[in-house]
Amino acid sequence: MSEPQLSVRDLTVRFPTTRGVVQALNGVNFDLEKGQMLGIVGESGSGKSVTAKTLMNLLPRTAEIEGDVIFEGRDVRKLAADGTQHFWGVEMTMVFQDPMTSLNPVKKCGEQIAETLRYHLGRTKKEAIEEAVDLLGQVGLPEPAKRVDQYPHELSGGLRQRVVIAMALACQPSLLIADEPTTAVDVTVQRHILNLLDRLREERGMSMILITHDLGVARGRCDDIAVMYAGRIVERSATETLFSDSRHPYTDALLRSIPRIDQPSHTRLEPIPGRPPELINPPVRCAYSPRCRFAQPDCLSAIPDVHGVRGMHEFACFHPANTDRGREALAANVAAGKTAAGLPIAGYAGGGG
Amino acid sequence: MAGTGHAPLRDDPNVLLAVRDLEVEFPVGRGAVVHAVSGISFDVAEGETLGIVGESGCGKSTVAKSIIRLNEIKAGSVDYQGHDLAKLEGEPLRKVRPDLQMIFQDPISSLNPRRKIRDVISEGLAVWGDEHGTWSQDRIEELMLAVGIDPKFGDRRPHQFSGGQCQRIGIARALALDPKVMICDEPVSALDVSVQAQVLNLLEDMKQRYGLTLLFISHDLSVVKNVSDRIIVMYLGKACEIGDADELYENPRHPYTRALLASIPEPAPTVDPSDGDIDGELPSPINPPKGCRFNTRCQHTTDICFTDEPKMQRVGELDHYFACHHPVEISVGL
Repeated sequence: MSEPQLSVRDLTVRFPTTRGVVQALNGVNFDLEKGQMLGIVGESGSGKSVTAKTLMNLLPRTAEIEGDVIFEGRDVRKLAADGTQHFWGVEMTMVFQDPMTSLNPVKKCGEQIAETLRYHLGRTKKEAIEEAVDLLGQVGLPEPAKRVDQYPHELSGGLRQRVVIAMALACQPSLLIADEPTTAVDVTVQRHILNLLDRLREERGMSMILITHDLGVARGRCDDIAVMYAGRIVERSATETLFSDSRHPYTDALLRSIPRIDQPSHTRLEPIPGRPPELINPPVRCAYSPRCRFAQPDCLSAIPDVHGVRGMHEFACFHPANTDRGREALAANVAAGKTAAGLPIAGYAGGGG
Repeated sequence: MAGTGHAPLRDDPNVLLAVRDLEVEFPVGRGAVVHAVSGISFDVAEGETLGIVGESGCGKSTVAKSIIRLNEIKAGSVDYQGHDLAKLEGEPLRKVRPDLQMIFQDPISSLNPRRKIRDVISEGLAVWGDEHGTWSQDRIEELMLAVGIDPKFGDRRPHQFSGGQCQRIGIARALALDPKVMICDEPVSALDVSVQAQVLNLLEDMKQRYGLTLLFISHDLSVVKNVSDRIIVMYLGKACEIGDADELYENPRHPYTRALLASIPEPAPTVDPSDGDIDGELPSPINPPKGCRFNTRCQHTTDICFTDEPKMQRVGELDHYFACHHPVEISVGL
């Protein structure tokens, strides 16, 4: 196997706060092959955006970072320490969630794209504006020659997000990180934006990391999906494997808790009990164990390592769903009426039971 | 995309709330007005959940707010138990209002951050009392237990709770006055998926327990289908399609409904992916298109769509109505 384009190893990020140290990332590992699309899925606070911001060198100075980020053979954290310019925004770029706040409201759209080209690639003002018109055309903005002279407030949310994408693509990046790029837009616009990103990725052979809380969005678009929980990747596999044969009880429960369009109305949902854990001084145990229907005593005394085949299907669980170990654990908990963490369970059909 | 016409109004004694030809406009200066809602008619039977879906700017929240008179109504009527809510003023309006409660999208900002949650929940009771004109802390504890908040946290303030818990508190507050109708405006869109299911199940439980009638607004088609008995699809201030939830998703007739169902990340199996290829974006509600309002984005337009507004028509004998000149034909048994 060739060297992956991006390799993240044991990435740990802590934020000291007045209430204590927040353990935002707790040993994140993943590889990304060139031209691939990786989906990072998780709830708020799971560490998806912190992962993206670490890659993009956007974390505040107070953040304590450990671990390695290797991009095309270069140590990204060293690039950051050396004050390297023309790397972020050129080779690795990012699209943010809210297209209104990621554009400067008092600058014309064309100027904002041209600024990138002039700063990073040394284009003249005239060349840069011409390229901006071209880029706006590529991202499917109608009448690009007119749009370059418009301000962000003159455009709708969907068009603004296209401007942000044009800006991110200006310097021909080899990796694009999209952090919830369609959360602020309607479904019809979402479809257009995701189709656009797909097309651009194919045309340019670019790799992409798509960060989303919406499993449906990730399923339709990504080659691989990594599920994050409490600052760790708890499961990672090829997209279809994740949906058909998930191992981590959190993934399993997440898939069950979402209303599905093919179910009849008033289908009772299976929510995940409790809520995501505090990240200040987390106890040494599986972070999901208090909410997990499979939890056994060993889950409460140690943090499970990542099992499975690296690069294929990896998961961090002692009693994985859809396996014999998981079935035994669940059967024992159902018989006892509660899990090792004291969570009452009754009549749960899930997880390969 | 008309929604003009009263075809979807049912002649049924169980109808609790009937909205007729509701029109709402907002002035935006220089004589221009936003046509937020332009003649929509629908009804809700007692104990029913009516879902309202559509893209942002389609007027779904305006419809909800008009019913409880949070904004001015230009024309139309809202019949509720012999009252026309659109015309009521002063004391009679005040007297009806406890019956109609609302829960909002952002659970945290809809609670006063400086008040204890016990006081947040009891405020309505402090004004109105219960059916005997009195109330006690026991009632507050009962409500907190019902929504799954431990009463011992009653002296805490909203910032000490998570988003999901704040939404539970918002639901308890809405239940305090024993309402008949509960209007839920995007109640789960700000919540994480694992918590979303908890709140949806809670709403379903509360509906059974307190005999509520729900109006449920959401842009998420799967969520709306899950909670609703009937669904209205709205576009630019008009209704496109109204019907029984399962029937509507199974046999969508209006091109816009089909476009929505084809646009979601995991499209409904009942539509063709190409149905999602609608052009452009929502036209301005200041100057809505003539004829059918969907004509700027529709794949099926002919001349009539630009001149005549389609009327609501019924699909056979089914609880299913649509307003379109060129509805998508469904071959039965497909």
